[in-house]
Amino acid sequence: MVAIETVITASLQHVTLSYTALLIAVVLSVPLAVLSLSSKRLASVVMTGANLAQAVPSLAIVAFVVPLIGIGFYPALIVLILRALLPVVKNTWIGLSTVDPGIINAAAGIGLTEREITWKIRFPLAYPAFFAGLRFAAILTNSVAVLTAIIGSGGLGNLIFEGLAGTNTQTLLAGALPAIMIAVLVDTGLAGLEKRMVYQEV
Amino acid sequence: MMDHGLLLLWQDYNLTARTLEHLAIFSVALLLSIAIGFAVGVLIFRKKKYSGIFFAILNTVETFPDIALLVILIPFLGVGAVPTVTACVLYSILPIARNTCTGLSGVSETHIRAARSIGLTDREVLLHIRIPLALPMLAGGVRIAVVFIMGIVTLGGLVGAGGLGVPLMTGIFNNIPALILVSGTWVGLLAVLFDGIVASIEKSLNQRYGIW
Repeated sequence: MVAIETVITASLQHVTLSYTALLIAVVLSVPLAVLSLSSKRLASVVMTGANLAQAVPSLAIVAFVVPLIGIGFYPALIVLILRALLPVVKNTWIGLSTVDPGIINAAAGIGLTEREITWKIRFPLAYPAFFAGLRFAAILTNSVAVLTAIIGSGGLGNLIFEGLAGTNTQTLLAGALPAIMIAVLVDTGLAGLEKRMVYQEV
Repeated sequence: MMDHGLLLLWQDYNLTARTLEHLAIFSVALLLSIAIGFAVGVLIFRKKKYSGIFFAILNTVETFPDIALLVILIPFLGVGAVPTVTACVLYSILPIARNTCTGLSGVSETHIRAARSIGLTDREVLLHIRIPLALPMLAGGVRIAVVFIMGIVTLGGLVGAGGLGVPLMTGIFNNIPALILVSGTWVGLLAVLFDGIVASIEKSLNQRYGIW
């Protein structure tokens, strides 16, 4: 039997790790997406990088960190940020760059500056694409955060790997089930937020 | 010297055998996923009434962390390749089924009417009109599934399925940086390569049948 306190502590560690990483990734991705908007070259580097990196299995990326930056909480955090950054930048950029040119022309016509167009026109219209990226990244950080337990990040992954090593089903499930519940809850929460923020066409 | 070291490392950890193991599990999982995902997609397309509930379930499965999904199958299916392939299939049904259903529904009414007016039955319309025109979309779904499956098969190394996850794990637990770098790069290259192959198939189907 796994003590309930153990599960709660592990869940808190897990949530802290995953969503700190997600938050940092979002904060970094917005300026990157805006910069990509004005530079075609940066945009193509970001897109190609994002597509290639997404194809590489998470376990390979987690393993790579060990010889390069070592083990522990912070190396895990770095992997998670890198993993989450690409889908968010990619989708934000797609959203920002595919706004109907007619709308941009109209905004320029009523005298909005380039800056105002980016923040007041492009961003609100890019929310659906941004949210798609954010939700994908939230799922991704949550699952990679389980995996980073093998490089010493702590959290629910610890229980899972402990259960695996000792063929102890209870410990295994004590790690896996909360991870699944957190994932479903966060995704539902983000879906709700998306519904409130995205402009609804009537 | 460096090449010699690489070769030794490759032999010491049986990387050729591990690669073959990896690709075997990958192929089985991919074929099963395509067959099941496609069948589910066609089923959802024909029974639109249930599509909401189907997609709600599949979307929820999709939010599960892959490693958590893999390990909750262990009490039921034991360890090894079986839970790994099952997890791959569970994860891949959604992208393949969703794209199949979208592709089949997206065929323009003009095509369908033309087909009916020359006397094709519902079945023939599905087989000879809708499915060929939905192929590019279907390939798009398979491409997403290829990336998922590559990731989960690598994780399979953690639950005794073999494959290239094993040398990665050995490298992490025994602190052998060279092994991590070699097997990590190799898995990464394989993943990018397969993604590229499916992408080019997707592209050629698009040129042949594309309506998107």
